[in-house]
Amino acid sequence: MLIERVLIFLIFITGFIGLISMKNIIKKIIGLNLLNSAVVLLFILEASRIGDKAPILNDKIQNIVDPIPQALMLTAIVIGVCVTALSLAMSVRLYKTTGSLDITIIKERLENEY
Amino acid sequence: MKKTSFFKIFLTTFIISLAVLPIILSNKSWPTLARDYLFNQAFNETGASNTVSSIYLGYRLMDTLGETLVLLVAITGTMSILLNLHKQTLESVETESSLSPEKRPQNALRTNLVEVVASKLGPIILLFGLYVMLYGHISPGGGFQGGVIVASAIVFLALGTEVKTKLTNSVVLSRIEAFSFISLILVTTYVVFFTDGFFSSIATDSPFVSASIIILLNIIIGLKVGTSLAVMIIAMMGGQHAH
Repeated sequence: MLIERVLIFLIFITGFIGLISMKNIIKKIIGLNLLNSAVVLLFILEASRIGDKAPILNDKIQNIVDPIPQALMLTAIVIGVCVTALSLAMSVRLYKTTGSLDITIIKERLENEY
Repeated sequence: MKKTSFFKIFLTTFIISLAVLPIILSNKSWPTLARDYLFNQAFNETGASNTVSSIYLGYRLMDTLGETLVLLVAITGTMSILLNLHKQTLESVETESSLSPEKRPQNALRTNLVEVVASKLGPIILLFGLYVMLYGHISPGGGFQGGVIVASAIVFLALGTEVKTKLTNSVVLSRIEAFSFISLILVTTYVVFFTDGFFSSIATDSPFVSASIIILLNIIIGLKVGTSLAVMIIAMMGGQHAH
């Protein structure tokens, strides 16, 4: 169980570093998506600790995983798509206004303009 | 300048690791109470053998309503940002290797290969999306998943030019979305008249306990998610798509 947790932690840290250190807005959004994926994977992993079958009930099934984190993560995935779409639309708007996706250049140009 | 920013990034990463590592590496045993209750009762109470479906369309239907509201708000924001943009600039972009029908401005980033494959695959993926949507109560799948597949099928239809369909028109899609959202609100408010109140559980308190309500909600949510995502992606591809 430890190796999965370490890998999820690596995905989380990769997303976080991408979010805070990249200059390109698109790469920041990719980092945000990685953070979201790490959280989803962590919940699914935690749910699978008490069972090993998918939670589709029938007569013979025993030992199913906990379905509640899966239902929660369904919500989280949809919200993640919403956040991604909104931030991509905003970055399109910024690109049309300033002509760049680099945050330092965007900041310079906006300061020069106003 | 560069060194300090590197140090800052390292320090922030270290602090966030200290905060997150105990959560990720925690070895506390996961409670089995809810799992056992759902294993024994979920099928009898909601009629859906897919337990995930019976949670988000039965026990926690109000959460799903809130989630679709969040989706609606995000789509509205995205569309209001994007639609004003396309009115201002419609520049024609041509790539070097494009063939003659691809040189229309709205098709600049396409190739013949994409057009043919997308319009051949679109109807098949649409059918698969409807299957995932309709069988969400007895197999892996459901409204959200089927809706996303339907959305990708509509995007395929919009990419291709061979199949002429009204389904890629933003106005038609928005009408379907509005209709499905109104039906979702109507279906979720029916608990007001039959049970204790608006926030009571639709599964355990309602007199119509069967899988039919789950199937109905799966269809409504699938239409809602599919059309709203498709509208958004078509807007990102370049405004209203008209065949």
